[in-house]
Amino acid sequence: MSELKNKTMQEKDLKKVSAMSKIGKIVVMVLLYAFLITMAVIVIFPFYFMLISSVKTLEEYQRSIPTLWPEVIRLSNYVEAFNTGNLGRLFVNTMIVGIVSTLLSLVITVLSAFAFARLEFKGKNALFAALLGTMMIPGELFTITNYATVNDFGWMNTYTVLIVPFLVSIFYIYLLRQNFMQIPNELYLAAKVDGTSDIKYLWKVMIPLALPTLISITILKMMGAWNSYVWPRLVANEEAYQLITNGLRNAFTDVDGNANIPVQMAAVAIVSFPLFLVFIFLRKYIMKGVSRSGIKG
Amino acid sequence: MKVELQNLTKIFPSRNKKAGGEVVAVNDFTFTIPDGKLIGLLGPSGCGKSTTLYMISGLQKPSGGKIFFGDDDVTELAAEDRGVGLVFQNYALYPHMTVKQNILFPLQNLKGADKLPKDVMLERAYEAAKLVQIDELMDRKPSELSGGQQQRVAIARALVKMPKVLLLDEPLSNLDARLRLQTREEIRRIQKETGITTIFVTHDQEEAMSISDLIVVMKLGVVQQIGKPQDVYDNPTNLFVAKFLGTPPVNVFEGSVKGGKLYIGDAAVLETPGVDDQDVFVGIRPEGFILDNNGPLTCKLNSVEVMGRDVSVVSTHSASLNPVVRSIIDADNQVAAGATVSYSLKPHKVFLFGKADESRIYFGVKSDG
Amino acid sequence: MVESKHSWKAWIYLAPAIVLLLIFTVWPIINTLRMAFLEGYSTMGAVGGATYEFGIGNFKQVLEYKDFLTCLGNTMLLCVLTVPISTILALLIAVCLNAIKPLQRLLQTIFFLPYVTNSIAIGMVFAAMFNMVGSAFGGENELIITAGIINNVLGFFGMDPVNWINAGSSYGANMVVMVVYIVWNALPFKILILLGGLQSINKQYYDAAKVDGTSRRRVFTRITVPLLSPMLAYVVITDFIGGFKEYSSIVGIFGEDMGPTGDPRRLNTMVGFIYDALANHQGRASAAALILFGIIFVVTLINLYVSKKKTHY
Repeated sequence: MSELKNKTMQEKDLKKVSAMSKIGKIVVMVLLYAFLITMAVIVIFPFYFMLISSVKTLEEYQRSIPTLWPEVIRLSNYVEAFNTGNLGRLFVNTMIVGIVSTLLSLVITVLSAFAFARLEFKGKNALFAALLGTMMIPGELFTITNYATVNDFGWMNTYTVLIVPFLVSIFYIYLLRQNFMQIPNELYLAAKVDGTSDIKYLWKVMIPLALPTLISITILKMMGAWNSYVWPRLVANEEAYQLITNGLRNAFTDVDGNANIPVQMAAVAIVSFPLFLVFIFLRKYIMKGVSRSGIKG
Repeated sequence: MKVELQNLTKIFPSRNKKAGGEVVAVNDFTFTIPDGKLIGLLGPSGCGKSTTLYMISGLQKPSGGKIFFGDDDVTELAAEDRGVGLVFQNYALYPHMTVKQNILFPLQNLKGADKLPKDVMLERAYEAAKLVQIDELMDRKPSELSGGQQQRVAIARALVKMPKVLLLDEPLSNLDARLRLQTREEIRRIQKETGITTIFVTHDQEEAMSISDLIVVMKLGVVQQIGKPQDVYDNPTNLFVAKFLGTPPVNVFEGSVKGGKLYIGDAAVLETPGVDDQDVFVGIRPEGFILDNNGPLTCKLNSVEVMGRDVSVVSTHSASLNPVVRSIIDADNQVAAGATVSYSLKPHKVFLFGKADESRIYFGVKSDG
Repeated sequence: MVESKHSWKAWIYLAPAIVLLLIFTVWPIINTLRMAFLEGYSTMGAVGGATYEFGIGNFKQVLEYKDFLTCLGNTMLLCVLTVPISTILALLIAVCLNAIKPLQRLLQTIFFLPYVTNSIAIGMVFAAMFNMVGSAFGGENELIITAGIINNVLGFFGMDPVNWINAGSSYGANMVVMVVYIVWNALPFKILILLGGLQSINKQYYDAAKVDGTSRRRVFTRITVPLLSPMLAYVVITDFIGGFKEYSSIVGIFGEDMGPTGDPRRLNTMVGFIYDALANHQGRASAAALILFGIIFVVTLINLYVSKKKTHY
């Protein structure tokens, strides 16, 4: 008797438990999505603010109750921003510096990584360890001397000064070396037996196999040129050689609210736009590059 | 605890989204697992045995059918509310916790009325550890243990909360051969001592045969046969089961039945009363051969392997579907050197299967066979 | 490997890198040490024929310099505030992202978006959001027309507008803006790394926990966080290093004055201090750079030590 009673009670319990855990799961899911969507809105809001503000008239922007969507879309802000900031010139400068430094940097990185990964020479490991050691030193420490050095070289306000000092990235050499090391050594030995030259082997075998890493390096290097600010500000402040970020900051320096913010936002949007394009089309490579290597922006 | 599966079905959407379609992992599985028994779910990989286990644990939801623990319908119940113990194939021991912390972990999860005082928890953890003989290793980390020891910790962790049902997923597959033998005895002993209904999954027929009370042979989501290991071995219901069980494997021949006699090649090898004339697959267990110079089945002799107690005779036959015909005979029998070897057959070690569906065709066996 | 008679070849491959490294990396290390220990050193002076005494005067001078202490204080405060906030937020977001199926890819993409932005440019957007429109001087004929979008949002919840970054704003308000911006900037990297870490945790640990009836809270504190601890340690260390080098995000919001109008240099940082001294006081800049290096080195060691204690398995 009592056993039977016990059983029916248990059955009820089970039903209750399963219903409870179902409700609990739904509540948790709702909370999860609410949190994530709220955070996503916060993260994305500055971009939205930039875009809508960039097409507002100054009058609309300054209203005490802001509009969430512009009443009149004023694209002429972009034209004004482009002219005020001389963005065309800055864009050309940045592209020249970005492309030249990326290409040279890739060549240097590939050659060095190949030497460290595949060739045997005295002091290789010591040298590599010493190079890795310098990665711990903050870049600002180098800047002090480099500033004086490029001054002595007479490089101030040239493209050279923006390109040459940063051509070697130990980090990229490290990254690519690791990638090269994963390629079986037998391939190299086989190529040697067949009489393939090192350069040919590098070009025909190693570079194709390490292509994803090279693409990641290219993207990060180009983005670096696009976003670099401190060094160009120090050594190339003449407008003819200014890069886009400096130009942007210099042309719209007014911190207080008197500036024509819609025009300023249009300028920011113009500068951000290529980055968004890169993001949309090459996101996979960037995310892979970042998560594999942990490069902090 | 008795476990009952009613028409249990699991359908996965196809991995290839474009192609559409679905994969039936488990199809209409009905079976009642008696209380306190050790059940082996057996089959090649992809046969749905692990899926079945995961559905019993609650980690996967059935697409159809019901699961009962005792008289309680637990189909809709989440894994955490079912009170099962599960040992994973890779053990899934928490790497950052000591053995003791790993075993205590399930107990510390108990809440409300079920909550245990600290000393009781510790006592029970040590009890479980003793049962699997790892109570000396309580302060080690999993990475400091051998595979066999990790396996025991995993079992202790599953047992400590006194589960209604203990589930083991390929419990021996990560162990080396020597440990495997030892551990399977251990599992048998622990199951006997605790009396907990235990279901384990394996692709190794020997493992399942050696320790299970009942085995369930599965293929492509469909249960082929359920029974005591020896019964299933002696009486396979289809060619798949016959082939899957037994080492060395069953010898399969093309054959035909004409006028109540079984022919392999041109030779009539056995009387098969009550079977209609037809082409068949013939399965003969290695121990089903009797050396007989006048025997009807003559094979080309390849080699003789002496294995102590037994002798394994390797030969070939044109109707054999296996590369070689392997028979096991008593070492007392001298195999005469020569080009051929002849056998007569033990009728109860010979199985006939239909050509179309590979299912068993029974024939009357004379009792003196 | 290949026989060593070709070892000259390796040096040819390495030549361009080594030449550049000698000029722009090795020499600066030596030179920084030299300048830091020559009291009151400046390149201009040295070219003019001045000589300098060897000593630790630069370090003394730097440490006694009120500006430097402001910079050090700002930098430390920003680190101490932003590193925990961004790490905890990123951890929460990563864990939640890992727990959902629909919309996961989309949300992941959105959360990664700030990574590919220009910190100066987006700093200007943040400045605009926190800005008052019109003039904050509030002269007779200059009316504040609107309090800015952030203040509008605050007003919506019934709070008073705050002068965030304009002339006359408080240090606390400035700091809030910087923390918000720096955290916003730090999130994508951390979420990406932590989510990657979460996805590489064997799912069986979670299945095991589920079968054992583990509550979500306990799964999080006893399983997820410990198993993720190497990744957590990694993002915390890189964030601390980045935090001590904070500079351009402040320029992004406040411009090169590094402070609100009327109070320049108020938010200056260690790196800002080095740049200020770069052109004329190389001795002082070098000393500051070495101090910065020392701090980063020590903090990294502490982090490594702590994480080694907490993450061994």
